[in-house]
Amino acid sequence: MKLLEYKGKELLKNYDIAVQNGLVVSSVDEIAQNIKAIKPPYVIKVQIMAGGRGKAGGIKFAGNVAEAEKICADLFNKEIRGCIVKKILIAEKSEIADEWYLSIILDRFYKTPMIIFSSLGGIDIEETAKSDPEKIIKLPVNTLIGIKDYHTRYIFEKCALDLKFYDKFNLILLNLYRLFCEYDCILAEINPLSIAEGEKLMAIDCKMDIDDSSLYHHTDIFEFRDSLDENPLIIEARKFNFLYIPLGNDGDIAVISNGSGMLMSCIDLISKSGMKTGCALDLGGGATSDRIAEAVKIIFKNKNINYLLVSIFGGITRCDEVAKGVKLAIKSGLKDKTVILRLEGTNKSEALEVIKGIDGSVTTASSITEGVKILSSRRKDK
Amino acid sequence: MSILIDENTRLIIQGITGREGTFHGQRMLEYGTKVVAGVTPGKGGQEVLGVPVFDTVKQAFNKTGANATIIFVSAKFTAEGAYEALDAGIPLVITIAEHVPVKDMMGVYHIAKKTESRVIGPNSFGVISPGKSKAGFMHDRIFSKGSVAIMSRSATNCYETVFLLTNEGIGQSTVIGIGGDMISGSSFIDYLPLFEKDKQTKLIVMIGEIGGSDEEIAAEYIKSNIKKPVIALVAGKNAPKGTSMGHAGAIVSADGAGSAQNKELMLRKAGVNIAESAEDIVKLIKDIL
Repeated sequence: MKLLEYKGKELLKNYDIAVQNGLVVSSVDEIAQNIKAIKPPYVIKVQIMAGGRGKAGGIKFAGNVAEAEKICADLFNKEIRGCIVKKILIAEKSEIADEWYLSIILDRFYKTPMIIFSSLGGIDIEETAKSDPEKIIKLPVNTLIGIKDYHTRYIFEKCALDLKFYDKFNLILLNLYRLFCEYDCILAEINPLSIAEGEKLMAIDCKMDIDDSSLYHHTDIFEFRDSLDENPLIIEARKFNFLYIPLGNDGDIAVISNGSGMLMSCIDLISKSGMKTGCALDLGGGATSDRIAEAVKIIFKNKNINYLLVSIFGGITRCDEVAKGVKLAIKSGLKDKTVILRLEGTNKSEALEVIKGIDGSVTTASSITEGVKILSSRRKDK
Repeated sequence: MSILIDENTRLIIQGITGREGTFHGQRMLEYGTKVVAGVTPGKGGQEVLGVPVFDTVKQAFNKTGANATIIFVSAKFTAEGAYEALDAGIPLVITIAEHVPVKDMMGVYHIAKKTESRVIGPNSFGVISPGKSKAGFMHDRIFSKGSVAIMSRSATNCYETVFLLTNEGIGQSTVIGIGGDMISGSSFIDYLPLFEKDKQTKLIVMIGEIGGSDEEIAAEYIKSNIKKPVIALVAGKNAPKGTSMGHAGAIVSADGAGSAQNKELMLRKAGVNIAESAEDIVKLIKDIL
């Protein structure tokens, strides 16, 4: 579960890591009545899940409240990097002397948290990682030891940092690690961690990602998730315990399967044939016909989708239930859509009987490759 | 031969009295797996499926001489179950639950490395040595005994491959669900030496996917240690690029690690045959065998 910047900053603040004073608004009307405690000039930042918002016009500056209102009025409901702007953070603009980079990530190689630090923080950090990898320090953390002073000493010595920041940085590192552990993070990133307003160390921007499997520990994050204005199809799919994955607006094909591996394989084969997948849906195990029908309906609520490939390797998921579900969905008004069913496993022959009785454009395929071939020829026919 | 489990495996089911534990316990027994004990706290002394139930893994281990355990409890309690099994000294601990907290698995992984035991999973269908024993919930009818070893991060891609192989009359020695989570108890690198030594195995199939560096690490090992032919499939070439890992993800993989392209490149350099699909795996196997 990724957090928006303002939510991440709330957590940082709770862990005594300084952030700029700021205000989150969902409409222009909210600005005037709440902004008194925030001193101009302002930095105005759209709160979206996509990265690179600065370069896409999602970060602006305002000298006073009227200017801030005007800028926000322009930004609300605008599409930036594929996201619609629903929330904006208005923060005090700080005088920044220097920008560092600090993150703790769950490293898949060491299978431990890892500290990443660079004194060359800011938006070009990824470029630095490629061009000057030695300018970036990576320190795996032994979880039995945790973070100790020697980690900070190592970073300061290696980057020749000014010792007057030692105590402040040390505290930030310890607090960030505490946050990382207590909130079951797989990423807690501060970039930039800036030297601002003289000798303060401040988190100017942050990215947090919390382990989905641990969310049940964190009711505040659940509330945050529900407050997000996500793709309505993702929310609808979640109600049925499905995972809906939008893949871009230029694809007219959707894929449904009962596992992420199979989904990825289908998408790979579709791409290899020069076609594009617009969305995918993971059923998980054991879906019944009425749930399958809902899955198909959700898919076709995406108006770009005209073709659907369903690939099921039925074990716990029974093929006849899948076929019945597709039949139900087609009946509900989807006769003009093309559905290709590739069903294998439990109750396959019963499924084939059901498919014969479907009034609509439904075809079966004996393998994924054949399914993709049929997709290709159907699209050419149109 | 075969690896990890065979006709001599004596299996404990932790959570045998639960719905899934009983259901799949029945199927494992029908397949011929020697399920020698169940563990459910508070239900010691009972019997389920004709199998004695114990309160703790240690009791079950002492009384039955079990040498493997499979944990059929919910994600929340999987780590606790694994710790109990590791502490009791069970050499093979199989975890199957989906959505086990990553932090829990981080603990289990590092503790297990300090013991002689091996942990498989989580988010895995288990292990099967066709015709001998199965420990998991895979659909055993599609498997057949033979000489192809398979280890897979994805269950669906693995089933697909096994199904096609069996249809072509090509059997399997041992098939392992590595598991699809960020941290698995064991990965390709841990099983490769076992398959290399196994007399029944003539060929090794690796089914990987994007993310992490398990395929790259395996490639490095294969280059100098594996003589048997290896075929690999890496799923997710066209999966959406996640922005979830922020800059940190890009920094960690600044050298390209984690992408399907890099994994394939490294595997190719190690002499591994790259397959584009499950059907392609079968084709390549037919060419080699």
